[in-house]
This record gives sequence, structure tokens and C-alpha cells, in this order.
Amino acid sequence: MRVVLALVVVLLALPAHGDDDKPETQRMRFIERGQSLTATGNIAKLFDQAAYEAMNSGFPSTIRIGSAVYPRNGTSAVAFQIEERSVVYDLWDEQYVIRIDGPGGKRTRRVKYRAEALKLLTAIDDFPIARLADIPLEDVFYLTLTVQLNPVSKETLAEVRRWISQGTGGGLDRGGVFFGSFVSVFVNPKIADADRVLRIRSQPFYRPKP
Amino acid sequence: MRGLAAFVLALLVTSAHAEEVVPGEPEGRDVPAGAPAVDAAGNLKPDDEYGPVLLIERIDITGNTATQDDIIRRALPIAPGDILHASDQRLRNARFKVLALGFFREVTLAMHKGTQRGNVIIEIVVAERGTFVLNRLWFGTTDASPYWFGTDVGERNLFGLGIAVGGGFIYAARGSIDGTRDQWAGELRLADGSLRGTRWGANGSLTLVRGSDFYRAAGNPDDDDNANFRGFPYRRFGGRFAATYDISALTRLSIASRIESIAAEPPSAPTRVLPDGRIVNVDLHVEPGNSRVVTAGLGIDRDTRSDPILPHSGTRIAAAVEVGTSALASDYDFATIFARFEHWWPLRSERHALGMRLAGGAVIGNAPRFDRIHISDVNRMLTPRALGLVLSSASPLDILTTRDDKPIYGELGGSASIEYAVRLFRGSGRRRVYGGDLFVGAGVWGLAELSDVQLRDSGVWGALPIDLYIDAGVRVDTDFGIFELTVANALGRLR
Repeated sequence: MRVVLALVVVLLALPAHGDDDKPETQRMRFIERGQSLTATGNIAKLFDQAAYEAMNSGFPSTIRIGSAVYPRNGTSAVAFQIEERSVVYDLWDEQYVIRIDGPGGKRTRRVKYRAEALKLLTAIDDFPIARLADIPLEDVFYLTLTVQLNPVSKETLAEVRRWISQGTGGGLDRGGVFFGSFVSVFVNPKIADADRVLRIRSQPFYRPKP
Repeated sequence: MRGLAAFVLALLVTSAHAEEVVPGEPEGRDVPAGAPAVDAAGNLKPDDEYGPVLLIERIDITGNTATQDDIIRRALPIAPGDILHASDQRLRNARFKVLALGFFREVTLAMHKGTQRGNVIIEIVVAERGTFVLNRLWFGTTDASPYWFGTDVGERNLFGLGIAVGGGFIYAARGSIDGTRDQWAGELRLADGSLRGTRWGANGSLTLVRGSDFYRAAGNPDDDDNANFRGFPYRRFGGRFAATYDISALTRLSIASRIESIAAEPPSAPTRVLPDGRIVNVDLHVEPGNSRVVTAGLGIDRDTRSDPILPHSGTRIAAAVEVGTSALASDYDFATIFARFEHWWPLRSERHALGMRLAGGAVIGNAPRFDRIHISDVNRMLTPRALGLVLSSASPLDILTTRDDKPIYGELGGSASIEYAVRLFRGSGRRRVYGGDLFVGAGVWGLAELSDVQLRDSGVWGALPIDLYIDAGVRVDTDFGIFELTVANALGRLR
């Protein structure tokens, strides 16, 4: 009986294995700029055709770039940054308004063409990832980037699926509601926590002594 | 010379070798580290709005063949006449507010020019999904009931009105316990979580139970032979009616009332022969003949778990108080309080999670048998009640060698458990399998009568009405259902 159950689980799991979120390795460029360490990479493939078309919808498209610098053999980040970039299309002025909100402050740009807007949204050029003071000389680190397209807040995710746990009221017996676990729900729509996610890991790097 | 420092290292070493950072040319821009630009919920702050100011001239909805337009319009955080920035949070949330109804597989929004400069028309295209839901399947076999089967189903969007209707039915065949009979129970439910788009909701249910319950009349506490039990028939018929109010999107208050009639035929003087030969009275906590239960209750439920099926973060807290009193024409004067707390701590970038679950309740006064805490409510390794029917006479596993004669019904009960979950896989959302977790959990459960707490006739350890429960298994979240394959679940169907 247990063998059959285990087989069912394995069969259910197989179709989804390909979607597991292993980071891809990308060769990146690291440069010291003033008191900051910056990185240059490429996240253009975050946008597929549908996402590119959606930039014209008039609704905001947002990407959130989370960067973290880890010691080569460590799991605790020594530096962590989040930058959020959004674009909305102004239907009447026929231009794209881009807002970049990150450690460097807030900036707003207006461009005429969608390709320009996409370039601004996905440019990882001299992207500040850490203060130099946090990156000791000669120590080896690597950078991870987690880039989400149209991320959904945890609160919104909870709201979308709250009907599963709240149900439709109960009958005469209430005890089971408090002690039981969840119910089985068939036909069970779920939204992802972002339209698309890129997980990138850089090659190891270090700061040489001057 | 310093300009040269900005060039990229042309030759990249293999992953086994670290790459040297090239000192760059200062740009006079000092970038502060650390502070994220978004708040904890991941939202931009209100003053971060940008983009053109728009006036919503009209909202067009297409693709809905069953669901009425009004249901969708009520869910939207925007309406014709609203003036807002193109980046306004309400526009960002509009899609999810419609998805949160649970009636649509996909929701797409687009904006078109209106009749005047600055005016826009919002177009919402929805793709409906089936809203027929299979809530539960009951099946299994035990000594007390050779087989039982049943199901609970629902339609969450009746006639496209956003009203949920559901019901369940279970049949359990009689075992060989004297005085028992074939059992069945049915329930009908009706609910509207948002009356005319307001925060108020209402739900009601009708339940009919033709059952039989049993009590231990002889034998050692761990001797589950059917000959040691005696049964009696009963019938319950009643309804629960509640009004709900959403304090926030994730917090719901409810006020409820229950009216129920009980017709029971318990033995006139039920007794139990103890292993040492003494004969003691057994209180079945049910009035012979016809009796009535009338209660009023209050409850609160807050659930911040981003994924109630495979939770890796967030909290759920729920509590309910119910009072039955002769002032409401009830034959039973009693009060119950139940509460549940669950919290999840993400570990290792949310790939693992540690969860804590606390659940407990107290029953005060002359509560009917069916309102007391059943041992299967607190011990997940026993067959749970289904629509009120008791389906197993199995005694709990005696792991801690504490009190061996644990009550079947109690006035104080609860469980505390820790669960460790490991992410097996996650789908992209486009596939039919969303994800799966492997979990292992352990905890303590307890059930006692108030008198057990006040008096004891053995050592402290031997008198403790607590024991361990252990569970492990797999949870799989799919497009077509949620499956929990666990050791406790299997035991609950077979013991």
C-alpha cells in the first residue's frame, strides 16, 4: 500500500521537476566605483514576448532586482540590496514613464520607444551591490541576483487563496475546524509569486590588494 | 591610468577560481548599502506614485459567461469616475482582487484611450474556471465500522451570483458493538462571503445526523474488542447561521447562532466494569429523549500565510467562543472556547520551514456529548469524526506510558506540535502540479475531564492525560486538488 502511495507521489512530482528554481551561472563584471562595488550583467531574458507586449497595456510592469553578496563558502549575505523598476505607458502622450527606485534614490525617465524602455528596465550596468567596506580585500565572494517580473506581495498571495482556508462556514460540529489540518480542494487555481523569476549566480570574485 | 581600471577582466577563470575585481573610476556617487526601497509587504509607498493622471471613464468586462458583471465590479478597487496615477496601487491590485474571487482561471487587464484627453477605458478580460469543488472524501474501515464512505462537494459560484452552496453525505456501516446501528449524516451549506460587495457576509447550514455512539463498558483501556463497548442511538437535526465581517482582507469576524434538536436513547444507567472489578457510573452527557441546544457564538480568523497548503511563512490565528444557555431556551447550559495558532518560520531562503501549531479548547458546564472534545480532535493518529459521526473505537497509542485510561470525550484538550517541512519541488504555476513538501512533525496532545485535573489517584506522570503524536508524509498541491499522504492519515483510516 505504501509503495503505491510513494509511486503516486513520484509520478505527481515528475512533471514539475523541470521548473525547480536552480540559479543559472552568469559571468559578471565587478568594478569598484567610489565607495561601492558594482556589477554588470544581463537580465534581458526576463521579458518574453507576452511581457514585452504588456508594457503597452497602460498598467504598470514592475521588476524587482534583489542582489546579495555571499562569502564563497558561506550562506549569510554580507550585503543585500533591492531595486524596483517600473514602467507605465502614457496612452495620451504616447511615451513610456520609467521609475527606478533603489539604493541610489528615485529617478524617473521618459522615453518614446518601447525598446528603449525595456533597455532601461533591464540594464544591469554598474549596478551597486555592496559598500566596499563590506567586502574585505582578498576574500572570495559570489553574487546572486533574484529578478522578479511583476512580483506579488505575500499579503496579496494570501488574499487570493484565502477562500481555501476560510471555506464557507461549517455545520454543527466546530471542534474539527480548530484541530484539523486543511481540506482537500479539487480544481485549485494558484497564482505565482511573480510572472517570471530569474535567479542568477555569478562566478566567484575577490578584491585584490592595491 | 585609473580609467583603465574600469575595463572588464577579459579572461574569466573557471568556477573553481575567483575573479579579481577591477578598481573603477570614482563617479562621485556614494551608494548607501542595505535599506530596501520597498516596504515589508513589497509595495511602493503612496508618495511613490508616478505616471500620467487618469480618469477612469468606463470599465468593460468580457469573457464572463456565468459570473455576473456586478460580482466582478464589486471586487474591483477602482470604479468609473476615479482619478488616479497610472502607477496607483489600486490599478496594480485590480487583477488580484478579481482573481481572489476564485471564479477565474485568468484575468487580463488593458487600458484604452477614452473620449477625452486623460480619460481611459479599462478592459477586463476574464477566463472562467470550473467552480465545482470536492472538499472531502471519507472512506475507511475500522472494527467499529467495517466500512464507511462519503463525500463533501460544493459549487462556489451558484448561478454566477458569487454564492457558495455545498453539502456532504456519509454512510457508515454498523460494526458488532451492541446498541449501535448503521449511521448516516448529511449537511447542506449556503454562503455569501460578501453581501452585495460589502465587507459583510452570511452563511448557514443544516445538518441531519442519524448516528449511534458508544462508551467503554468493560475491559482494559487498551483492549479495543467490540465486546467491551456498548452503544446507543441518537438523532441530531439543526442549523448554524452566521454573519461575517471582513476587518481586513485577511481577517474575518463572525457571529453565529445554532439551533439543534437531539433525540437520544441512552441506557438508563450506563456503567463500566473496571479492570479491578469495580463498577462505576458513566456520564454520557446527553439527555434521554428529546432535548434542544441553542447557542450564540463569536469568532475571529486571521490568516497571513501566503500559501495555506504548503506554508513556509506567515501566521494563522483563529478563536471562537460559543455559549448555550437556558436564557436562549437551551436544555444545556455550557460554554466552549476553542483557539488555534499556527506560525511558520522560513529557513534557508524559504526552501525549508519550521512550523509551530497550537490548538486547544475548553468546555465549561453541562455541554452535550457532541460539543465535547473528542479524542480524535486532538490526536491526529486516530480516525477523525466525520459530520459528527464517531467511526472508530481504537484507543490511542500509549507512547509515553502516561495515563493509560484516557477519556474518549473531554472538557480540556489540545495539541502542540512542531513540524519541519522541506520543499521537494515547485512548479512554475503553468504546470498542473504547483509544488510538494516533505514534512515530519511531532507533538504532544492531551485530553482530560475537569475532574481529572482536580484529583488523581496515582503518581503525577501516570496521571498525566497527555501523549505524543508523530506524523510524516508528503503534501502535494496541484491544479486538480490538494493531497496529503501521511502516516497519521493512513492510521486514521485503518484503526
